[in-house]
Amino acid sequence: MRRWLLAALAVVGGVVVILPVTGRAAGGDPPQAFFRPDTPKFPQARTWVAQKAKLPPYKAPRTPDGVPDLQGNWNGPVGGGNDDLEEHEYVDVTTPPQESYVSDPADGKVPYTPWALAKRNEIRAGLARGWPGETGQRLYSDPSSLCLNGMPRLAFGGQEIIQRPAQVILLTANTYRVIPTDGRPHMSPDAKFYFGNSRGRWEGETLVVDITGINGETWIDSAGNFYGPNTHMVERLTRVEPNTIDYVITIEDPTIYTRPWTMTYPKRRTGTGAGANAGAIPNAVAAAGAARAADPYAKEVWENTCLEGNHDNVVLLKKLGFKWFDAVTPPK
Amino acid sequence: MKRWFAGFAVTLAACTAVLLLPPSAAAQTPAAAYTPPRTREGQPDLQGLWQVLNTAAWDLQDHGATLGVPAGHGVVEGNDIPYKPEALAKKQENFKNRQQLDPENRCILPGVPRITYMPYPFRIVQQADKVVILHEYSRIIRYVYMNGNPHPEGPIDWFMGDSRGRWEGNSLVVDVIHFNEETWFDRAGNYHSDALHLVERFTPTGPDHMLYEVTIEDPKVFTRPWKISMPLYRRQEKDVELLEYECGAYLLKQEWAKPDSPYFNTR
Repeated sequence: MRRWLLAALAVVGGVVVILPVTGRAAGGDPPQAFFRPDTPKFPQARTWVAQKAKLPPYKAPRTPDGVPDLQGNWNGPVGGGNDDLEEHEYVDVTTPPQESYVSDPADGKVPYTPWALAKRNEIRAGLARGWPGETGQRLYSDPSSLCLNGMPRLAFGGQEIIQRPAQVILLTANTYRVIPTDGRPHMSPDAKFYFGNSRGRWEGETLVVDITGINGETWIDSAGNFYGPNTHMVERLTRVEPNTIDYVITIEDPTIYTRPWTMTYPKRRTGTGAGANAGAIPNAVAAAGAARAADPYAKEVWENTCLEGNHDNVVLLKKLGFKWFDAVTPPK
Repeated sequence: MKRWFAGFAVTLAACTAVLLLPPSAAAQTPAAAYTPPRTREGQPDLQGLWQVLNTAAWDLQDHGATLGVPAGHGVVEGNDIPYKPEALAKKQENFKNRQQLDPENRCILPGVPRITYMPYPFRIVQQADKVVILHEYSRIIRYVYMNGNPHPEGPIDWFMGDSRGRWEGNSLVVDVIHFNEETWFDRAGNYHSDALHLVERFTPTGPDHMLYEVTIEDPKVFTRPWKISMPLYRRQEKDVELLEYECGAYLLKQEWAKPDSPYFNTR
């Protein structure tokens, strides 16, 4: 929640370019890099679905409580971050070409109802970040640029997973979730939260997390893909290899989407496989890796701030005329 | 006779010494009275959901009630906070202008020890090399490292400081330095500088209680170290869990809706 800093504000020829730049690589979104136009397209759901279909069956070691052991430090998705969750070509230095995070429907598109698709497109046309197709009007700024965050965006970042009897704890650099797995019921759906109300259960190898009570006041990416106060999410975390968790989230809301839809990506154990953005700045990542190996503090999470250093940017966004993004409900 | 008298005198002296001990000194050594269960790593097990039940968040010292402020006994040992004269004047200014100046009203990280006695629960999770304190307030995480690393070299100005822990008997002892000057101790304007040094002690006194003690040292603001102490209570409600208080989100939403909010005046 505190990680997104509006660190760079450039006014070029009347177009305001607002670049959120992240700090350390453990929370919400992966660290931001700057991408060249010839960056190859990052693989996401399509590639991962094909890869995981070929994996041999795997049974994870158990915790002392007898459930699959998911503990440790895990990365978010490799790639350019969630600027736009649907498949896209190169847009700008922070938005390299990338496959869609959506595995179902097969076309990789969020299955919006017509009014909701119009709303998403309206939001996108009013981002005023210099993207093609914008109206030039300023409508909403990405809520994360105001240090707001929520599900499912938090799950698209690095996490430490800790398991204790009847609970799973997910730590990012500066925020957390505690998921009870003791069979307790959800709170009333009238109780709304940025992160919703999570209830977990184990189904064989899989941790299933059912989320209700989401307030719908943040986005799924920075490009206006949205959910609402009636949205229901179900996450599935399965260790499919010693160093890989298959992360799957299904999002359901008949008031916004024509059908439930699913995103998926592999969470690699930190220090194994490719790191976030390794494809974009290999030398920088390698150099940072060597320096970190020698640093006794490299595994520590140090203070992350967001709102504390963001006041000037908040003031600017308000002065530029961006509106507050309220939860979206269908037109009457 | 002489031997008897000598024995009596020694006994009398010992009794007197015990009687003269202040009650707080007795409270500092509850470990003898209670042995907590151990974690798998063999540490005293402090894990669970805890919260204070006092008015320290409003004022660390004895205070009467005002609108929205419950009266309360102070948590400062001896009730006096040993401000230097010029620092006391600043504290009084802070109090007078607390509506405008209290950093809590800006929803920034509230600092230590303030976060511990705000009226929100927190969960303690222990691992071999760190203790993690998860606060409901703004979903703040405090990492207390016990991995053998000393405080990193400064200067570092953090809102929550740098926390290094160790076990002394059944007590978790946390040494905290590297603060900035942006945070207060309470809503009454008690404050510190970036020279703040804390030693916190979390001592289990029973299955559902801990004693939380903090020695506070800041030579720029105080003439000597001083101490606060209070019990922490394990939350007993069935199905109790950390929920959410996203302070910054609620604040921005409220201020965005005001036509002339002073929040958007450049500071």
